[in-house]
Amino acid sequence: MGMKYRRYLAGERVYGCATCRTHLATIHSMISRAFNGQHGRAYLFDGVVNIVEGEPNDRQMTTGKHTVRDIYCVKCGATLGWKYDRAYEGSQKYKEGKFILERNLLVDVQ
Amino acid sequence: MDRIPASNGHTNGNGLSSPIANGSSPLGNGVQKHGSSIARVSLPGSTLYDDSYIDRQEFVRLVIQSLRDVGYIESAATLEAESGYSLEAPEVSEFRQYILNASWGSAEALLVRLGVADEESLWEARFLIGQQKYLELLEARKTAAALQVLRNELAPLNVDPDQLHLLSSLMMSSDPEDLRRRAGWDGASGASRQQLLAELQRQSFYSSYFDAFPRVTTMILEVHADEVWNIAWSHNGEYLASASKDKTAIIWRIGSESEPSMRECAPELILRDHPYSVGCVAWSRDDAILLTSADHLIKMWDARSGICLRTLDAHSETVSALTWLPDGSGFISGGLDRKIILWDAEGKQRDSWGITAMRVTDLAVSPDFSRLVSVGMDYVAPTPPAHEFEHGHGRDTSPPISGSGNGASIANVPRSPENWMIIYDLASKQMESSIRLDGELTSIKISDDSRYALFNRSPDEIHLWDLAAGQLVRKLTGQRQEHNVIRSCFGGIDGNFIVSGSEDGNVYVWHRDSGSLLEVLSGHGEGSVNSVAWNPRNERMFASCSDDNTIRIWEVPPTDAFELSSGRADYSQLEPSGKGKGKVNQQWDGA
Repeated sequence: MGMKYRRYLAGERVYGCATCRTHLATIHSMISRAFNGQHGRAYLFDGVVNIVEGEPNDRQMTTGKHTVRDIYCVKCGATLGWKYDRAYEGSQKYKEGKFILERNLLVDVQ
Repeated sequence: MDRIPASNGHTNGNGLSSPIANGSSPLGNGVQKHGSSIARVSLPGSTLYDDSYIDRQEFVRLVIQSLRDVGYIESAATLEAESGYSLEAPEVSEFRQYILNASWGSAEALLVRLGVADEESLWEARFLIGQQKYLELLEARKTAAALQVLRNELAPLNVDPDQLHLLSSLMMSSDPEDLRRRAGWDGASGASRQQLLAELQRQSFYSSYFDAFPRVTTMILEVHADEVWNIAWSHNGEYLASASKDKTAIIWRIGSESEPSMRECAPELILRDHPYSVGCVAWSRDDAILLTSADHLIKMWDARSGICLRTLDAHSETVSALTWLPDGSGFISGGLDRKIILWDAEGKQRDSWGITAMRVTDLAVSPDFSRLVSVGMDYVAPTPPAHEFEHGHGRDTSPPISGSGNGASIANVPRSPENWMIIYDLASKQMESSIRLDGELTSIKISDDSRYALFNRSPDEIHLWDLAAGQLVRKLTGQRQEHNVIRSCFGGIDGNFIVSGSEDGNVYVWHRDSGSLLEVLSGHGEGSVNSVAWNPRNERMFASCSDDNTIRIWEVPPTDAFELSSGRADYSQLEPSGKGKGKVNQQWDGA
């Protein structure tokens, strides 16, 4: 609610939305490159900015059942990946509250 | 608790016969001595400590203001004397001193010089002072003198007979304790003089501006389908432009009839061609062109036909500010891409500040054409440094995203600490000075006399800055601002009010020269009041816009409504509660 400017990130490497170059995350917040999304390789991030979160729903993934929500670019609305709300498997709990960005939807902006 | 002073009575014995007191009250002497006997301490440099960035004068003035706010008047005076940093106009300190010293006559004489001009407020102030004098005399058991005050000073002031009767009945009090209890007054040695000061302050601000104070919603403009983020009046005061998250801007015609119920207000033009939410609106000097910004795009509209004349895409990130030059020859845009660009009136680039040191969140040009003042974030020192800065600073080392990762994605990321106000000489584009401030700066306005700059600083502060002296005048507080872009403005006669939106959904109004919070106006629904704008042609009208998708027009209550109401402060009963379904809701229908 209310007017907010988009956030701008700084650092060695900043990932932006491939469509509109809106800043999304830095390499410092990347936890893992070993994920797969709908468009191939995907990255797990600790924190992501300038996104809108969709409604939560349960999905069966290769590592078990998770409650996730799709995330969209705040400027252009492109779908970028998803956020983990809940992991049902104990071993996957570390993903909760973290974000997946698909590599093919990202661009280096800096 | 009996607080009657024993030997050091506070009553000014001379008060009656010679109201122009010669400072003979013990308290008076004390305070006076305080003020004059304290030596001014002269310190080297301008910072609080050798190795700090904190500006000493700014810091000390804030301490003085805080001390005074909580009632440590003498400590404040002492600090003022020692530091030489005075907050108030000399007349105001003088007046304060007179009241605290019980120099009633001198205080009364000063009222006119303090700008209490109209008869009625003058009477009111005289009555309050006379009442205090009367009560103090009674407390000191000087009944004859008190009676004289009642008859010769209070009675002629056209007071409510009941009030006079109440005061005279206090003559019958058995002792000072009884008097204080019956009068609901804590005596000369209590806080009563302070309270009198506070009341006088309220009265004089209120009464001199009371008749011109727009505190009632007269219209609600409801067409936008989403949050309204910004508003601007045309220079002729007849149109209001609004910018909304719904990707439209609307030009509203606000009829010029003085009676709100007779007035027609309608959305004249809905400017739809924006690919993104609209953030800024700015009228050309002749009101022929309206500029809007939607993300990185600027659009120029024919304000009469609603035709889009041009789309300017020189900015690569959100355009956060659009302001026309005072002579109408062109306009300046500022953006989060760090660019500041000067355009001619046709929309051709005329000049540029290039990539500036920070992401611009707002900018303003002083009406006298001398300065461009910008506020922004993510400051990076220009290389090579071309100017000396007032305060030291390091290279931008914005921290990377932090990793607490609890799902609140945006909140996890620390905000960039490098927020600055940069003042440029407009003609030469040279940086005149730059000031580093903590917290995001989201709005900047310059007063009509080009002297003051006003900016919102998150969290929860508005700063009034003296551009000529290059220093903070005062901070205004009360409104809430943490996450959003909130804007404020000057308004009223001589720009004597400061108004701001707030994240708590209210509109806040302060008296510019004292910093007193005068009004907290409620009415908007859920969410933030994002921006406010004073009608440039009608000092009795301003507008506010909100996350509740509406714009409210605030006006001076009509005279008959004023007479109907019993208390001054309470207008709530006059405001219709229903919001109405109409597109433009005429509020007075229900009054």
